[in-house]
Amino acid sequence: MDRCSNCVLSTSFPGLELDENGVCNFCRDESIVTTEQKIIDESAVQVQQLIEGTKGKNEYDALVCYSGGKDSTYTLMAAVEKYGMKILSFTLDNGYISPKAFENINKVVETLGVDHFTFKPSKTVFNKMITTSATEPVYAKSSLRRISSGCNTCISIVNNLALKTALEKNIPFILAGFTLGQIPANSIIYRNNYPFFLDSRKRGLEILKTKAGNAVNNYLTISEELQKKTVEYPYVINLLCMESLTENQIIEAITPLGWERPGDVDGCSSNCRLNTFNNIIHQKKFGYSPYELELSHLIRKNQLTREEALEKLLDQPREIYESIGKELGYLDN
Amino acid sequence: MSDRDKLMDFICRNFMVEEGEFLLDESLIDQGIIDSFGLLEISTFLKKELGVETAQEDMNRENFGSFEKILAYSSRKREAVYG
Repeated sequence: MDRCSNCVLSTSFPGLELDENGVCNFCRDESIVTTEQKIIDESAVQVQQLIEGTKGKNEYDALVCYSGGKDSTYTLMAAVEKYGMKILSFTLDNGYISPKAFENINKVVETLGVDHFTFKPSKTVFNKMITTSATEPVYAKSSLRRISSGCNTCISIVNNLALKTALEKNIPFILAGFTLGQIPANSIIYRNNYPFFLDSRKRGLEILKTKAGNAVNNYLTISEELQKKTVEYPYVINLLCMESLTENQIIEAITPLGWERPGDVDGCSSNCRLNTFNNIIHQKKFGYSPYELELSHLIRKNQLTREEALEKLLDQPREIYESIGKELGYLDN
Repeated sequence: MSDRDKLMDFICRNFMVEEGEFLLDESLIDQGIIDSFGLLEISTFLKKELGVETAQEDMNRENFGSFEKILAYSSRKREAVYG
């Protein structure tokens, strides 16, 4: 497979152009890094001011979307130890979380002393949503550069549950564990604009509902009553985007909490087995991995070597894809 | 470069479309060009490149419903601020 000689973007990645040295246009555009740094610096000031201005005024200072992976574990730890926030965290049990990841979740929330809950959606509905995401055009092409369709559906459920919980409990911030490359720099901090965001998801929501039924509404929308009661929507903050850490530094920081890497997930995940299925479907459909943009971004920032990134991309165990594909009814038994 | 050209250039570069490939008076969302992050990216572009701050209540179909509507919104906002 042909890739950029500096990062790991494939020649099939949308908009990619290689020069005579095999270096892609993303690596050649230095303004990507400088513009991003400016946004990071501005976001850091805004985040600090907002947190200081609201801390201690509500039952919880922030709600953390906690998947049990390394990035959200670091986010949870930073929220408690660095920002001194009182946290409620939650995990979406999608049925494919590694048992080791659940051990990690329990150890970490106990060590940090935070309140935590787990939400498990109907397996029938969730699985239909994932197979529909694999087969139908649920999302805009541009968003699939950063994330697979299946992961997008799972994250949308997490985001919706987070918003619902934050509104019901009057929590001013939702903290997520995304890194730059997974999301654009201007999404480090933003106020959730639910009515418009719902509008942006309407087309995909209809497709999901056609295949998985109206129960999808329970997971991807909030009630009109709750919307009417809402005066201000919470901010969403991605704390990790403002840190400049290598993967090893993140793991070193969270190891004292009892976190250990699960051995039954692919090279791009540290908690979820469904990731492998979603990655392979994406690779087959588009000719590139949904992790290429994120990993390439880390390479340009010297937070990951190209060899390490390639190792992650290639570590997609076929047996996980096949067993989950069969469980979902996507592959024949 | 005019505001129209700047916005067109931004949308084409960021959302992988060519000029003429999408309708200017129809929703970028409905045409499958942008998602919710796309809306955030456009509002940040308006702030940084055109000096237009988007109020939360302004993020609706009336103002962001299409390429032409975004352009008209930014022009109205600038007029209101700078006269």
